Formats: sequence, C-alpha cells, structure tokens
Amino acid sequence: MAAPAYPAWVTRWVSGQWRNKKRPPTLRPPRTLALADKVANRREQSTEATCITEMSVMMACWKQNDFNDTPCAEEIRMFYDCVAKAEKERKNQNEDTVSSRGNLPSSKVNKLLKRFPQITHYV
Amino acid sequence: MAAPSAAGLGRRLRAWLPRIMPVRWSRYNPSYLEPEVKKESHQKPLEELTEEQREQMELKAVRPIKAAPPSLSSSVFSDPMISKFTNMMMKSGNKVLARSLMSQTLEAIKRKQLEKYHKAPENEKETIECNPYVIFHQALKNCQPIIGLSNITKGGKTYQVPVPLTDNRKCFLAMKWLITECRENKHRRTLMPEKLSQELLLAFNNEGPVIKRKHVLHKMAEANRAYAHFRWW
Repeated sequence: MAAPAYPAWVTRWVSGQWRNKKRPPTLRPPRTLALADKVANRREQSTEATCITEMSVMMACWKQNDFNDTPCAEEIRMFYDCVAKAEKERKNQNEDTVSSRGNLPSSKVNKLLKRFPQITHYV
Repeated sequence: MAAPSAAGLGRRLRAWLPRIMPVRWSRYNPSYLEPEVKKESHQKPLEELTEEQREQMELKAVRPIKAAPPSLSSSVFSDPMISKFTNMMMKSGNKVLARSLMSQTLEAIKRKQLEKYHKAPENEKETIECNPYVIFHQALKNCQPIIGLSNITKGGKTYQVPVPLTDNRKCFLAMKWLITECRENKHRRTLMPEKLSQELLLAFNNEGPVIKRKHVLHKMAEANRAYAHFRWW
C-alpha cells in the first residue's frame, strides 16, 4: 500500500481543522485596504453651453427679416454682450476654489493630497 | 518641490537662459516692455496721467524695451486693419507688390466714388461716401459673420455646431472671403485692384457674393441650431 488515497474530507477531519472551526477567509482584498494618495481621473467637468437663449432669439429675428442684419441690430448686440460676459466669466473663474458644481478637479485634488500624504509607517 | 502655489511670479522673472535652436516666437527676456509708438501718449503732461500710467512711466525708465517691429508705424496714415489685409494679400513675401495693390485699390475706390459724386444730383451728393478708408472699414464690418460653425464629435458622429466667434476670427474670415472671392471667381484678365474695389463697394452696400456667403453661413447655423447644446463653453 504505497500512498493510500483517502477522500479530501478524511484528510481535513484528521488534521483537526473542523474542530478548530477554521473557515476560508471571508475577504480577499485585491489591493491593500488603505487610503491612497491620489484620486481617480474623472473627465466629467463639462459645463453647459452659454448664450443659447440670445442665440435663438437672434435666429428667430433673422428668419423673420430674411437674414438682414440691420433690423436685428438689437438682438445681435444682446448676443454679443452675452458672449462677452460668458468669456469674462470663464477667464475669471478660478479653478483653485470649488467650481460651480461643488467639485474640485481631480488634478488639483491630487496635488493637495501629495502635499499631505498618508503616514503609513512609524519612525 | 516645497514651493507654494504662488510660483507664477517667481517663474516669470527667473534666470532667463537664451536658447540656441531657432524658433518662430519671440525670444525676449520677460522683463522687456512693449514699445509705445503713438505720439499723443508721449506728449501728455505728467499731471494728466493716472496712478497706473505713472507707474508705467517709472517702469519704462528702468526696464529695457523691445525693438519696434517694422510693421508698427507712428504715422497718421497707418491703419492696422489695412496692414493686416495687405499681409493677407501678400504672396511669397512680396510686400512691395501687395502694398502697391492695396494703394491702387484705395485709389480705384476713390475714383469710382468721385465719378458717382460728380454725376449725382445736388440733393444726393451728401449721401455718397468718398473716403476709401471709411468704405473699406464699413465693407469689412458688413462682411463679418456673427456666428460660426465648428465641428464637434459626439458619439462617433461629427456635427456642425453654431458657435460664437471672437472678433479676430470674424475679421479674419471677412478678409479671407474677400480675397478668395477676388482671386477665384473673377475673370482671369481683370487686375486685382479693380476686382477688389468692385467687391468692396458691393460689400459696402450689403450686396455681392461675399455678403451672400455670410448669409449662407448664417442660414446653416440657423438650420443646425438644435445642436447648439453640444457646445461646452
């Protein structure tokens, strides 16, 4: 009798695992369960299109007046004003503070986290 | 680097190392100031200047000044729009030819308008504009598109989205359309000043093929107005 082939449960019973209530691990984390020093790169920061109402008003005026510019001068002026305001708004918008949605862009967050890293070791 | 976020100022006036590779942009040290060419700004007495202008004058006493480019002129006859138009008309760097064509164009406009002036009855004489510069500027303004189209790809398909244009872009498009119209859609033997003067006079009166091209662009923008939400700026 070279190597007696017992069923698996026999081996386990004999080794005493059942009596010690040994179970397979409930959690097998793919990565270490600790906070990393960066966030994922999200691209969803797209804003909405500006000056749509002024543009549609201007186009309605154009349709009525056969695309002449002289009768529509007022609407055109309003469109230009809106565009200038939106452009200034975009320039003045400071990305360092929280944006209009309430989220910082991920690159800024990563820079801040890099300055204050997680301490994982004792010295 | 332990530098705080206000690193822009230090970065601007750091040690400036000259580069050896030829480049297309200007290579002045950032401390150099722009030259002031207009005579009126130099003749103003010191009391009339505001605080920031006085600081500018102090700064000019200590900082070096860039060399004025040859296209910048302090003459009363120089016009930046006309210079830009001349540069766009120029081919292979032949500025002499482009400038002479431009002056011949302005002369042709003046001649045509004077002819009309002398033939017109007395009551209509004031309405005829004879200044070729005024006609040029007004024609360009009439040719400028108000809204442009830009290609935006969404979901694999490219759409033509109506988009507001900057002033520089509008000017550029107006000049480009005028020049291409004159170069391509006219009879081969007509000279450029004659073609250009004709186009400019038509544009001044809101007629002609360039104005039609502008209207076509507006019509396309109007047809595509549903896609306006694809813009994100």
